[in-house]
Amino acid sequence: MRQAIVRGDPSTYPDWFDGKRRQRPLIVSRWVPIAMVGLPVAVLLAIVIYPTVWMFYHSLRDTNITGLFTGNHAYIGFANYATVLGSERFQDSLIHLLQYLSFGAVLQVILGTVLALILYEVVRSNLWRTVILILVVLPMMLPPSIVGVLWRFLLTPSNGAVNQALLDLGLISAHIEWFNAGISLWSIIIADVWNWTALPFLIVYSGRVSLPPAVYEAARVDGAGQWKVVRRITLPMLKEVIAIAFILRFTDAFKFVDLVYVMTSGGPAQSSELPTYIAFQRGIREFAIGEAAAYAIIIFAISAVIVTLFLQYMKRVMRAQGLA
Amino acid sequence: MARLVVEGLCKGWDFPVIDDLSITVEEGEFLVIVGPSGIGKTTLLRLVAGLESPDRGRILVGDRDVTRVPPYRRNVAMTFESYALYPHLTVARNIASPLQARGLPAAEIRRRVEEVARLLRIDTLLERKPGEISGGQKQRTALGRTLVADPQVFLLDEPISHLDARIRHELRSQFHTLEDLRRVATVYVTHDYAEALSLGDRIAVMGNGGRLAQIGSARELFEQPATLFVAEHLGQPTINALEAELVDVDGRLEAHVGSLRLPVASSRRDALARVGERRATRRVTIGLRPQHLRPADELPQGATLEGRVDIFEALGSTGVMIVDVGGVALTALTRPERTFDPGEMVTLAWDPAALHFFDPSDGRNLLL
Repeated sequence: MRQAIVRGDPSTYPDWFDGKRRQRPLIVSRWVPIAMVGLPVAVLLAIVIYPTVWMFYHSLRDTNITGLFTGNHAYIGFANYATVLGSERFQDSLIHLLQYLSFGAVLQVILGTVLALILYEVVRSNLWRTVILILVVLPMMLPPSIVGVLWRFLLTPSNGAVNQALLDLGLISAHIEWFNAGISLWSIIIADVWNWTALPFLIVYSGRVSLPPAVYEAARVDGAGQWKVVRRITLPMLKEVIAIAFILRFTDAFKFVDLVYVMTSGGPAQSSELPTYIAFQRGIREFAIGEAAAYAIIIFAISAVIVTLFLQYMKRVMRAQGLA
Repeated sequence: MARLVVEGLCKGWDFPVIDDLSITVEEGEFLVIVGPSGIGKTTLLRLVAGLESPDRGRILVGDRDVTRVPPYRRNVAMTFESYALYPHLTVARNIASPLQARGLPAAEIRRRVEEVARLLRIDTLLERKPGEISGGQKQRTALGRTLVADPQVFLLDEPISHLDARIRHELRSQFHTLEDLRRVATVYVTHDYAEALSLGDRIAVMGNGGRLAQIGSARELFEQPATLFVAEHLGQPTINALEAELVDVDGRLEAHVGSLRLPVASSRRDALARVGERRATRRVTIGLRPQHLRPADELPQGATLEGRVDIFEALGSTGVMIVDVGGVALTALTRPERTFDPGEMVTLAWDPAALHFFDPSDGRNLLL
């Protein structure tokens, strides 16, 4: 009677198996796995971890540009943080960020979703679908600096195309001063929506394409109307996809500098500044390295909290559907 | 309640899939459509459900012509091969969906969903989502969604093909006993002939070219297959089909297959002679089911053949052997307790009255 084979216990393996265990291992030396993991870790350390730690270190010191190069800077505790959090400029910029998020990012996701579903549900020919897809995605392929310059031209109050068009249509009777205080941030949002709506659009469209057609046929047999199908079946099934699109646009908002810089430079009178832009301004333009570092750390903390909340939500949704 | 009538239905895309197909399914009848993959079975169901519109022909539910009526107003319900459950809704809400679409009051929906769930024994799963239940439970949920709609016609597309054997058997017996299914006209599509034989009041075999090869009871199809195609698709193991020549020998009729001489039963001789007068050739395809070809001691009064066992398979409830008889490979059955060794010589007996004769050119049964 043969001995029963116990997995993991070579003494119970039959004779014919002897040679098999001595197969040449895929990994030749024990240094290979160390190198394969170590190299990316080293790169990560060098370009992410080290600068972050460096930044945190200087956020606690009174570093300016000369101090940075001469090593002449002193520990000042959380004074930089106090300066930042206490400044009206930063508080205003947070309100601007909120405005940008709730109109810019949200609008992009809503518009992108609506466009994607319309394209899928209404346009039936594959040729037209492709043509429209390309047209919608085109703005996303332009670098933001170009988009900024483009929209500065389009929105020029006296002879810009947008004002001219609104006048010709009779929607306004006088030029809108697109770059005045109170409006300039809206101009940035408009340009950004134009620039980035295509991203949620693409994500949602590809999500819709991959939904199982049989479910829709079942709905047709059940007798659900088209609007009901979109509301009760399509949108719930695209929930995670839309959430991902939103997270992407949301996280981008925290590093959003380019359009602000090109279109308004935060002005007039700091009325269109976002936190990141101030960090950039204080650090790169005005050489207040310590304070800029504090800005960056605060922005990092805020975004980390929000993204964590989002991921938690995603996890819950996925678990409810048995996906995770 | 009503019957389902399909008249001269045609549908094709790049090529004709369904060609001039007519079927009537009576109220309370369970019709199983069986046929190989890609033959148009699912297309037929989708046409009846209204998910596709026919190129020609009519579909009637009761006396109502529903050919141009949208799916939800046809009073048909359909299960899909992939179950097509809504992944974001609970089992209860999946089952409830056709009722919700009709705008029934919530209490009424709740009551009917629970009733159906109890019937299908998924009442403990009502708050789960499709991602959290097994394949068999998903199928029950999909079935529940069709049952709750209380339609006049049920369309079931390969409902149990993707489940493992034990659950398949359990669900199959459930199809036998579900009153709701047995009350109305049901069309059940499968590629599994055993399922068809087991479930169908009548069975329709779909053949090449999108036509019905034959429709009838399981017994009719098995004993009097209209074509070789039907004979080959119903029955396991597959029928022995051999090219043969009919020869008169001393006033008796024999079918010659190579060196084999197979006597033809006298009951078949006159019928074959009448057919023979219309045909220019005496070539036929003969069919002999393995069930009717057994070791000589199991079939004492049959005609006999000598052969050598090539392959023997003990399948538990029966034994199957492939025997080389004069260079012709024949499949025969044995009683389950017997064993044969490859190479062993064996005397087989067969029942001449069970022999089928088909036209080699178009596969038609010559005696029907």
